[in-house]
Amino acid sequence: METVRPTLLSSCAKAATAAEARFRVPYPNALTRASRIFALDAGAAEAMFAITEDPWNGAHFLTVGGASQIDPDATGVDDLPLSAPDGRAVLLSAEIKGADVVVMLASSDTRIGAAEVIAREAYERKIMLAGLVLADGLSKSSVDRIVAALRPYASVLVVASENDFIPAMLTALRA
Amino acid sequence: MLRKEVNDLLTQTDNGTAMGAMFRSYWIPALLASELPEDDCPPVRVKLLGERLIAFRDSKGRYGLMDEFCAHRGVSLWFGRNEEGGLRCPYHGWKYDHTGQCVEVPSEPEESGFCGKIKLKGYPLIKVGDVLWTHMGDKETRPPEPTWEFATVPAEQTFTSKRWQECNWLQAMEGGIDSSHVSFLHSGSLNSDPLFKGAKGNKYNQADKKPVFEVSESDGGLYIGARRMAEEGHYYWRITPWIMPSFTMVPPRGDHPMHGHFWVPIDDENCWAWSFDYHPTRALTTEERQAMVDGYGVHNKYVPGSFRPLQNKDNDYLMDRDAQRRGDTYSGIWGIAMQDASLQESMGPIVDRTKENLVSTDNGIIMARHRLRKAAVALRDKGEMPPGRVPEHQLVRSAARVLPPEENFADAMKDDLRVRTGVKQTSV
Ligand code: FES
Ligand SMILES: [Fe+2]
Repeated sequence: METVRPTLLSSCAKAATAAEARFRVPYPNALTRASRIFALDAGAAEAMFAITEDPWNGAHFLTVGGASQIDPDATGVDDLPLSAPDGRAVLLSAEIKGADVVVMLASSDTRIGAAEVIAREAYERKIMLAGLVLADGLSKSSVDRIVAALRPYASVLVVASENDFIPAMLTALRA
Repeated sequence: MLRKEVNDLLTQTDNGTAMGAMFRSYWIPALLASELPEDDCPPVRVKLLGERLIAFRDSKGRYGLMDEFCAHRGVSLWFGRNEEGGLRCPYHGWKYDHTGQCVEVPSEPEESGFCGKIKLKGYPLIKVGDVLWTHMGDKETRPPEPTWEFATVPAEQTFTSKRWQECNWLQAMEGGIDSSHVSFLHSGSLNSDPLFKGAKGNKYNQADKKPVFEVSESDGGLYIGARRMAEEGHYYWRITPWIMPSFTMVPPRGDHPMHGHFWVPIDDENCWAWSFDYHPTRALTTEERQAMVDGYGVHNKYVPGSFRPLQNKDNDYLMDRDAQRRGDTYSGIWGIAMQDASLQESMGPIVDRTKENLVSTDNGIIMARHRLRKAAVALRDKGEMPPGRVPEHQLVRSAARVLPPEENFADAMKDDLRVRTGVKQTSV
């Protein structure tokens, strides 16, 4: 095929100007995502609760409860103790069903068993799993332990030195 | 997604803006040293951070960078006569020294001391490596001179180029920390580019197109680790350091020279993409240096006599659909640098980040923006100096290594990620 030379400004790369940007179509380019944010431990839950009241695009903020370490092999999908911010118990299966984005917040390695239970479900549904390690106030060795424990389950792992990264990340992800 | 006010904060660098103040707290590349090759050579117009300046080298070899326009009636000093220790305006003969101080007003009696009252805004200009650097901020908070390894190794080990990029600095810089595009956009070039091909690591890059990312903060910025499968359950790690505000290094491949970039705002809709290549322990070979001059690797070809890329928006970047179809290049655009630049310029001069749909693998970019915003606000509101100004932050390297699965890259590769004089880069 003969190369056709662009004839109008807007039909060639020169259209990358501020003036031409005015003609970009104004229609939305994405549907609202279903985001599920899991706080794996008490510290993570506290950090998460600081921002759950902000206006989000329907993100679900969920806390893993229970007193002790969770044994993933002995915990079925809906045995995971999980609650919404108002204290209502919720089922992991229902939360993961229809989720587009899953983010796990961790500030200790005591509850990593829960990560495995969540990851199993997410993996079944081929959903990307992001792990955010909240390093504020933790020793380097604790951070290393959390990172190593989460590594098998997360397709992206971020270590944030301050908790203000939680809203920054969730805003960026349109949660 | 980024809110409009944050996008404005990060992308605007004129005098008086928060991000502008942040850029003004660093030594930034201003010109290639080769642009002012000898004493009394022609002056060069320079626009940086939205300020129009003139650079020159006086009769004694002193470099000057100052307001482009004569204080008398506003003539561009590019027309000036660079002679006898200063730059003289050709209109009425006012003369300035390398600091911008007016040293002669021929119409006024010398004894009047009138010229002492006239001073153009001037900035220091120093040569470190192949680059002339300037600091456009307050003298009181001037940082130590730059210590980046590419600029401090012997001249035969390093090569630097710059090209005009027709978009805001941030979207260009974000390309440098966007490790997930390499498996797509640059996939063709891994096989063919003389400065990339043949490395063992390339094979992992091509075999595993779904890298897993780990982002962690460093004192000066970030480490972005991309992990791909290697043999026997091991991981092939590629670590990209980002140092504030806009320095990045590409993880190395084989024994090829290491490369990286600086992105420096010209104004809000244009930036300089600085690209360097160096080897920490050996001279560049004649072939390597020639390949860099010829525009391979992170460098590019030019419109003759300019710093504008030969492939540019006026010629649709010489799009080659046949090469795209054959897979020689993934996007149809020749050369790694212009593969990036063509796409980044296509976003428009300042991309509207309220429209983007980021995903988890974009977390390096999300974190970099977050740190930039915080640093710019801390400087604006509390006068806190931002990271990246001191040698400890600047003496970093990128690295690539195969590690057992349980190893933390930040620990296992701690030494690999630091400059070690006389020790070569860690690479696969
Ligand atoms: S696929 Fe990333 S910009 Fe289009
Ligand atoms: Fe690139």
